[in-house]
Amino acid sequence: MASVEQSKQAIMLNKKYKAGLLSFLSAQGILVFFLICMFAFSLFSEQFISQSNIMTVVRQASIIGIIAVGVTVVIIGGNLDLSVGSMLSFSTVLVVDLHDKIGPAGAIILMFALTLLIGAVNGFLVGFMRLNSLIVTLAMLSAIQGLVLIYSGGKNVDIANQSDTWFAFFGRGYVLGIAVPVILFALLAIVVQVVMSYTSYGRRIFAVGGNPAAAVYSGIRKNWCVFSTYLISAFCVACAALVLGSRVMGSQNNVGQGYELLVLAGIILGGTSLLGGAGSVWKTIIGVLILGFIQNGLLLLGYPYYTQWLVTWVIIILAVWLDLANKRKRLFTTHS
Amino acid sequence: MMYKTALATSVMMLSVGLAHAESTYRIGITQNNVGVDSYQTTYESAFEEAADKHGNVDVVVLDAGGDVARQIGQVRNLIQQRVDAIIIWPTNGQAVIPAIRQAHQAGIPVVVTNSKIAEAGLDYIAAFSGPDNVQQGASSAEMMCDALEGEGRIVQIAGQPGYTTAMERAQGFEEKLAEACPGVELVETQPADWNREKAQRVMENFLTKYDDIDGVYAGDDNMGVGALNAAKSAGRAEEIVFIGATNFAVGYEAIERGEYYGSIYQSPVDDAEAALQTALDVLAGEEVPKMNFFETPKITADNLAEFDKPVF
Repeated sequence: MASVEQSKQAIMLNKKYKAGLLSFLSAQGILVFFLICMFAFSLFSEQFISQSNIMTVVRQASIIGIIAVGVTVVIIGGNLDLSVGSMLSFSTVLVVDLHDKIGPAGAIILMFALTLLIGAVNGFLVGFMRLNSLIVTLAMLSAIQGLVLIYSGGKNVDIANQSDTWFAFFGRGYVLGIAVPVILFALLAIVVQVVMSYTSYGRRIFAVGGNPAAAVYSGIRKNWCVFSTYLISAFCVACAALVLGSRVMGSQNNVGQGYELLVLAGIILGGTSLLGGAGSVWKTIIGVLILGFIQNGLLLLGYPYYTQWLVTWVIIILAVWLDLANKRKRLFTTHS
Repeated sequence: MMYKTALATSVMMLSVGLAHAESTYRIGITQNNVGVDSYQTTYESAFEEAADKHGNVDVVVLDAGGDVARQIGQVRNLIQQRVDAIIIWPTNGQAVIPAIRQAHQAGIPVVVTNSKIAEAGLDYIAAFSGPDNVQQGASSAEMMCDALEGEGRIVQIAGQPGYTTAMERAQGFEEKLAEACPGVELVETQPADWNREKAQRVMENFLTKYDDIDGVYAGDDNMGVGALNAAKSAGRAEEIVFIGATNFAVGYEAIERGEYYGSIYQSPVDDAEAALQTALDVLAGEEVPKMNFFETPKITADNLAEFDKPVF
């Protein structure tokens, strides 16, 4: 009899242990997944954990990361911005092309101004005209691509004297041994995270994204809030364009194509809800880094291109599932 | 712009065309995707210029915008208009074959330009005009072999996966390298979609992964220069030989500065003129070889001066 009791106890203990592990896994899902991936990659590729590789991945991820910081704010405010990929093409072509015509300083100022103008158009249509943000920014995605082609005449733009311009600083420079793109990424992320967490402006954005009607009744000027999120998004795109143009020292007019999906993927991986009202810049950073490390790891292992895409997107679906499981407090559900 | 051309063409047809109907040819061209890259954009303007130079040619210039369905529609449209010949830059070497067959059955000769179509379609075309990408890959392999003196470890950055040009260049390069230069080992190939920024990222990862890389072969100069950028940032450009294809202005300058070993000279102007000339030869009833390749010479610091700097 004692052995039956013992085995019952053992089963109970086992169940309890399993439940504990599952809830831990579901709560920390994405971070655990990240660590498992990192560990697995490091077993197969000794360079993966090396300092130079980690710095390379963070530097490569910083362009997507900078844009994702801005789009996270738009999403917290309850909207989407799919136009960031085309905007990146536009701003990069613009800053590179103007560099040779009016000099780097003028080019940067003009590029920021025009990028913010596009952000303002997005913000006006969504915030004040109350148009659906998915449709507006999807339309802008194509419209801006057209604008880029008209502007560039379909040609690549290059900075003529590549080795002799301080413009190179933003994409290729180092400060105290840290790459400038990484510093810009970190600075933007910190500022935006602080604004979102500790200022009344940040709380208003969360309120508008969470419950717009309640936000309006409590005296928040919703239109302006939404408008401003698109300006933040555009500002981040302009910073990313500065890094990209300077890193490549030239631009093709389709350079940002598909970036909007990578940005969204990073944000979703970080667990920010696409429904608005919740999310954090920190988590977006983790999401973007996970994406970067997975792609880098697969490349170091020598996997072909198609496999990289397949694995990346399967991981994103897994992440969304784990996130949902965490909210439901269970991994599977058989009823709706 | 294409509407303007089409409009101008029809107006010209009405006013002048009728008077010279017996000596004037109407040629329709449908391009792959003008505006996405400098090569195609330069090709388009070169084609129009070349047509202007021939006094007796009217052209209808269309662009498929990379969309196979739209291109098939455009071919049907040109058949309806009863043009004298159709030039097509296939968006997809397989999917356009039925449309080409329709033109063939309607008695309109078809010239395929720049990018090949699948074997099954060869019976329906009058000729192909364009660069020989397999040969280009082989020439790059020869340059790589010369530069490394037959010994070393190299990586390859390929063009867009699935695109004929990318596959043919990689194939020509790999076959020739294995045959002529067994001492040079190709350790890995990754695609970068003809995109400089992507090539830069791929190369950064290669540099982390391999401590010794002696050479890089890139499917075009745009990607080659991206790889060069990455190597320069890592301080390893000196020890690596860079060889590309489709010489771009940035590649030309890099050869000039001695940072880039060589490339393949492929002019979109030659490409456009050859396509038009092939179509005119076919219309004149001349004997035209089925595969009509134009010259794409090797270009290195030694013979750089013989070539004009590319305008794209």
